[in-house]
Amino acid sequence: MNVQVSISANYAIVSVDGRVDTTNASELEKTILGVIEGGGTKIILDCSGLNYISSSGLRVFLVIQKKLMVLKGQFRLCSLQPGIKEIFDISGFSTIFSLFADKEAAMIEK
Amino acid sequence: MKFKRLLVDNQMSDLARVVAFLEELGEEWELSVQQILSLNLVLEEALTNIFLYGYDDNDQHSIEINFGIEGDQLTISLIDDGQPYDPTLKADPDITLTGEERPIGGLGIFLIKKIMDKVEYERKTNKNILILTKNLKP
Repeated sequence: MNVQVSISANYAIVSVDGRVDTTNASELEKTILGVIEGGGTKIILDCSGLNYISSSGLRVFLVIQKKLMVLKGQFRLCSLQPGIKEIFDISGFSTIFSLFADKEAAMIEK
Repeated sequence: MKFKRLLVDNQMSDLARVVAFLEELGEEWELSVQQILSLNLVLEEALTNIFLYGYDDNDQHSIEINFGIEGDQLTISLIDDGQPYDPTLKADPDITLTGEERPIGGLGIFLIKKIMDKVEYERKTNKNILILTKNLKP
C-alpha cells in the first residue's frame, strides 16, 4: 500500500495505491485521521490505484465517513476499479458513500 | 482433478504467503486476476477470524488450506484446531442501513458468503473444517 496526501482547492486528496488489508489498514486510518486533525474535513479519497480491499479496509472507510459526518465535513471516493466497486455493492457501501467517476467530478460537485 | 495445499501459521504476517501462493495457483490453474483477488479476500477474511478469535492460548497453530479444482468447480477447505466456531450461523449485516446507523465491522464472513457459491462447516476430531465452493464459469 502507498498513501499520498495533497491539497487541491478546498480538498485534501488522499491517494491510496495497491492493497488495503488486515496488515496495513490501520496505517491508512492513521494517515486520514491525521488529515482530519490537521483541519482537513473535506476529503477526496482517490482509489484509482486501489486494487484490493478486505473488510479491514472497509472498516477504515466507514470510520472516516462517520467521523466526517459528525464534523459536517465531506468524504468523497473516486475512481473505484470494477473489482472494488463490486465489493462496495456487496457490502451496501455504494449507498453509504458518495462515489465519483474521477477526481475532477468529485471536486466540481457542490 | 487438481489439488494443492498450503499450510500457514496463526500470524498476520502469513497472509503474505497466501498472496504469493494464490499468484502461483492462478498461473497454474489459469485463474483471472479478479478471481485471484476474490479468493485472496475470502481467505484473508477466514484466516483473520481464525487468528483473532480461534485460539485462547499464545501457541503457534498451523492451519491447513486445501485447494481442489475439477472442471470449473473450485473447492477450498480450511482446517484449524481452534475453538469450535461455525461461521455459517453468523447473521448477515443489514446492508440497507445508512452511514450513521451502520455498525463498524461484521463484514468478513458476509463477504465470504457472497463471493463463494456455498459455505459449509463441519466439526470433526476437534477441528473446524470450512468448505468453500465456487463455480468459476457460472
